[in-house]
Amino acid sequence: MKKILVVEDEMPIRNLYKEELADEGYEVITAPDGVAGYEMFKKEKPDLITIDLKMPNMNGLELLDKIRREDKVIPIIIYSAYGEFTQNFSTWAADEYLVKSSDLSEFKNKVKELLVKKAS
Amino acid sequence: MDKEDIIKNYEDILRKYNILNQISKTVASTLDLNRILHIILTGVTFGNGFGFNRAFLFLIDHNEKNLIGKMAIGPATEEEAWQIWGSIQQKNSSLEEFLNSEDFIKNLESEILNERFRNIKISLENQKILLQCLNDGLPRRVDLTLKNNQFQSQFQSQPKPAAQFQNDFISDSAQIEDELLNLIDYPKFCIIPLISRTKKVGIMIVDNKFNKREITKDDINYLLMLSQFAASSIRNTVIYNDLKDSLSALSQLNVKLTDLNTKLSYLKEYNEKIIESIPISIIVIDNNFEVTLCNENCSGIMKVDKSRIIGKKIDTHKIYLDGGIDLVSEIKRVMNDKKQKVFYKVAISFEDHASDDIFDVVIAPLKITEENPEGVVLVIENITETVKLQKAINDLKRFSELGQLSATVAHEIRNPLIVIGGYANRIKKRLNEGKKIDSRNLDLIINEIRRLEKIVYDILDYAADKEIEFARVDLSLLLSECIDFAEISSERNNISITIECGMEFIEQEKMYMYGSYDKLKQAFINVLNNAIEASHTNDLVKFYINRVKDEGEDWVYLKVNNKAVLANKDDIYNIFLPFYTTKLKGTGLGLTITKRIIEQHSGIIEAESSQEHGTTFIIKLPLIN
Repeated sequence: MKKILVVEDEMPIRNLYKEELADEGYEVITAPDGVAGYEMFKKEKPDLITIDLKMPNMNGLELLDKIRREDKVIPIIIYSAYGEFTQNFSTWAADEYLVKSSDLSEFKNKVKELLVKKAS
Repeated sequence: MDKEDIIKNYEDILRKYNILNQISKTVASTLDLNRILHIILTGVTFGNGFGFNRAFLFLIDHNEKNLIGKMAIGPATEEEAWQIWGSIQQKNSSLEEFLNSEDFIKNLESEILNERFRNIKISLENQKILLQCLNDGLPRRVDLTLKNNQFQSQFQSQPKPAAQFQNDFISDSAQIEDELLNLIDYPKFCIIPLISRTKKVGIMIVDNKFNKREITKDDINYLLMLSQFAASSIRNTVIYNDLKDSLSALSQLNVKLTDLNTKLSYLKEYNEKIIESIPISIIVIDNNFEVTLCNENCSGIMKVDKSRIIGKKIDTHKIYLDGGIDLVSEIKRVMNDKKQKVFYKVAISFEDHASDDIFDVVIAPLKITEENPEGVVLVIENITETVKLQKAINDLKRFSELGQLSATVAHEIRNPLIVIGGYANRIKKRLNEGKKIDSRNLDLIINEIRRLEKIVYDILDYAADKEIEFARVDLSLLLSECIDFAEISSERNNISITIECGMEFIEQEKMYMYGSYDKLKQAFINVLNNAIEASHTNDLVKFYINRVKDEGEDWVYLKVNNKAVLANKDDIYNIFLPFYTTKLKGTGLGLTITKRIIEQHSGIIEAESSQEHGTTFIIKLPLIN
């Protein structure tokens, strides 16, 4: 079973993502900020990570930078309420940049796609 | 003595009395000092007069310390002496004719001796013969050719001198001023003091250097007679000239005074014009409450003619500010306390006439000297236009904030919408699949909808263009309610709270301010809530209340401190901006609304944050009586 790490500070959204991805048959682990997210990445060795940008303690861009220094290949999806960060070079280190939406189908498709790509 | 000698003697006496008469008549005809001196000296030296060879005249200076050489008549040399006498004897004119002749008038300044003599100064300080003469008023005969013993024997052989001249012989040059000896340069001469009543006027010296005739007792008697009216004429003329000088100085002073007066009245008019033309009302009230000054602008806003204000007692007028404040009582209070009072943005009613205009009113003690104020000055400025302008600026500021707000709002409502939409989709999917629905999913949707409602409420509150209803607010009561709230709220959140200056202080102080009770309460509770919610469990929150009276101004300070430290330096500047929040809960509008309420009440709110002291919000608000 593929393991997905969801890093998101807003509890209701975190839960929504967790439940939706679990329905798709993944094992889902979560973290409420960048610091906890990095610890989970080291400890749990997930197959894919989704990162929110605006978070307390360590924001999404810092977390992305930290992970990419250690792991160049793990699929990472950034999703944010703010579309304007696609202009930011730092976000280019992620495999996908998605703007948050109540319709999670695109998000779930991208997760599946990236995991398949990684396996091949 | 035979008969002929007696007749000749009487003729001589008559002639000399005649000369005295002529001199006195001529002298009396003028007030020119130089001419008087000239007439006297000419009379003394004229061949047909007393016939002395030379005559010198000194006048005493104002301090009576020096004799100043004024005029001298006589030839400088023996040769010259014969020339002058020759020419005068040829004409054979009388003294009176000569004094009125053109020769005399022309020669006024041309006497040779004058050159050496004029302005020579002899000090009286060494107390020699000249001072003695002036002090006792007696003449002296000087003969330095006699040794003391010779003088004694010669004197004894002569007929007994008149009693009054017993001490008038001087034969010792040491008794005589050196300057005088140098000037005369002849061993025999006579010193005649010039004294008018008791006033020392000067000294006349005569001698017969060229024909060497001895000076007789008779000579001295005639000279004494001459000296009497000479002294008084000279004195009168000097007084007259001094008076004339003083008069001319006075008239010059008068011209200057007139000039100064013109400048003063110009300055006065200039100041009055400034006071009359400024668009501010000024009333000056003296210690008896009487109006001593009132400008045009003032009579304009009081709608009363100036004549009905100036010179009248101020308490004959009914002047009230907002909230029924009696301006006249306030003026009396300033008169007593000598402390300035200021009323900002108030409406004024004069004699029951109220207008919609808004004024700043200042009552200031009028300081003439530091200890003794002469009254008060009342300054009233119509600030209606300024207030309108300020409101327009505030409106613009709010529109610009609303622009930023809408961008932020779009983001703020996105997260709740994702949760609501996301869970709605999930529930629909599970229903379609015939699966069970978790009711916690519905709770999440309901919570997010509540959050959206709160955001909408705050935005409406913030954007509302409602004028606050201002009234007298019992701040002591309001603060005691806030303290109750803070205690309950901190207990619920497991936070300890300390309140400095507690209820006792609040009840004693009786603090009032002008504003909205509800709005102020909302502002204070926002700040307290903010501090409690940003604290960790068991943290301490401190609430200080303090009152500061300074220079007639009265302020309340509220400080709310917690241990939380703002992570980012910019947070301290951004903390009052809309939707700027460091909390997980909240809409980010609370402090923005709080700041606006405080500013609407002419107050100030600031925040400080440091590792050492945590974060403190400071609110400063003006109190009223």
